[in-house]
Amino acid sequence: MQEATFLILTALADGSQHGYGIITEVGQISDGRVRLRAGTLYTALDRLRSDELIGMDREEIVDGRLRRYYRLTPEGGRRLAAEAARLHANATAALTRLRPAGGLVT
Amino acid sequence: MNETTSLERGYRRVLACYPKAFRKESGEEILAVLLDTAAEGQRRVGLSECAALIRGGLRMRLRPAARPPRTVRGAARLMCAGAVAELAAVITMLVTAASVKAALAKDPSLTAAQWHTVTSLLTFKEVSGAIAVGLWLFLAWAISQRRDVARLAFTGFFALITLSMLIVLAQHGAVYAPADVIAGATVWVITLATMVLLFTRQSNAFYRRAGHPAAAHPAR
Repeated sequence: MQEATFLILTALADGSQHGYGIITEVGQISDGRVRLRAGTLYTALDRLRSDELIGMDREEIVDGRLRRYYRLTPEGGRRLAAEAARLHANATAALTRLRPAGGLVT
Repeated sequence: MNETTSLERGYRRVLACYPKAFRKESGEEILAVLLDTAAEGQRRVGLSECAALIRGGLRMRLRPAARPPRTVRGAARLMCAGAVAELAAVITMLVTAASVKAALAKDPSLTAAQWHTVTSLLTFKEVSGAIAVGLWLFLAWAISQRRDVARLAFTGFFALITLSMLIVLAQHGAVYAPADVIAGATVWVITLATMVLLFTRQSNAFYRRAGHPAAAHPAR
């Protein structure tokens, strides 16, 4: 799973969000490191929707403009949990192995 | 106000690189996000924003916007096989046409009108076969792209092939070599199998979702 995909799913993990909301959330989650572009976001959303990892929640018209809210599907939740566990295991392994080498990590 | 509209116009121009179906479904939504993320008083489309849109649009055009279900992927593969079989039929025809013509030329009872009918019929079959190869490949691409129209076109194509097959068998069967008839029958069987795959419930759901985005959460 690509990092952008992982972050988008994470942004949706605790509730539905619209496009702009996802961009803001992803910025916060990554400490401002990842700034999603609209083009990147919608290519990813389209793929995630067709893979049925996310679904459309509802539509709103705000200031005459269409706003769609997306939510995680049960399958999307499972995939995100599995990916998070995998990354966590990798990170733990890396930190464990680094420790005896030079005591870089405390 | 003018600043907003000139920026909006700029974004609309760049959004043109997305497939039409996608633009229809999500164009306004993306535009809203683009305008939300734009800086205060921004009048021109940012370079990196523009690059991301072009990249996204190209990616969406090159690969299917949605991964089709197994049935549609199978249908697309069969259609490529159909193109190969059709090509084989055209080649067979080109090879056998010469011997058919040679045999007919020796027949003294053949009138000029009959000769004309035979040759023009052969030419028609060759040209239509070559067009069919292109059509197979184009439709294989289009059905993977979630174009329901392509399914309709393929149904028409199926009807046409069935009809021409029947005409060949009923009237001019003697003109064609058995190999040609076999190749034609192979193409027809592939077409039939593709039709079945294209209209399974799984395939229907795939195309329904394409036409009506609201059907993503149907009232079940």
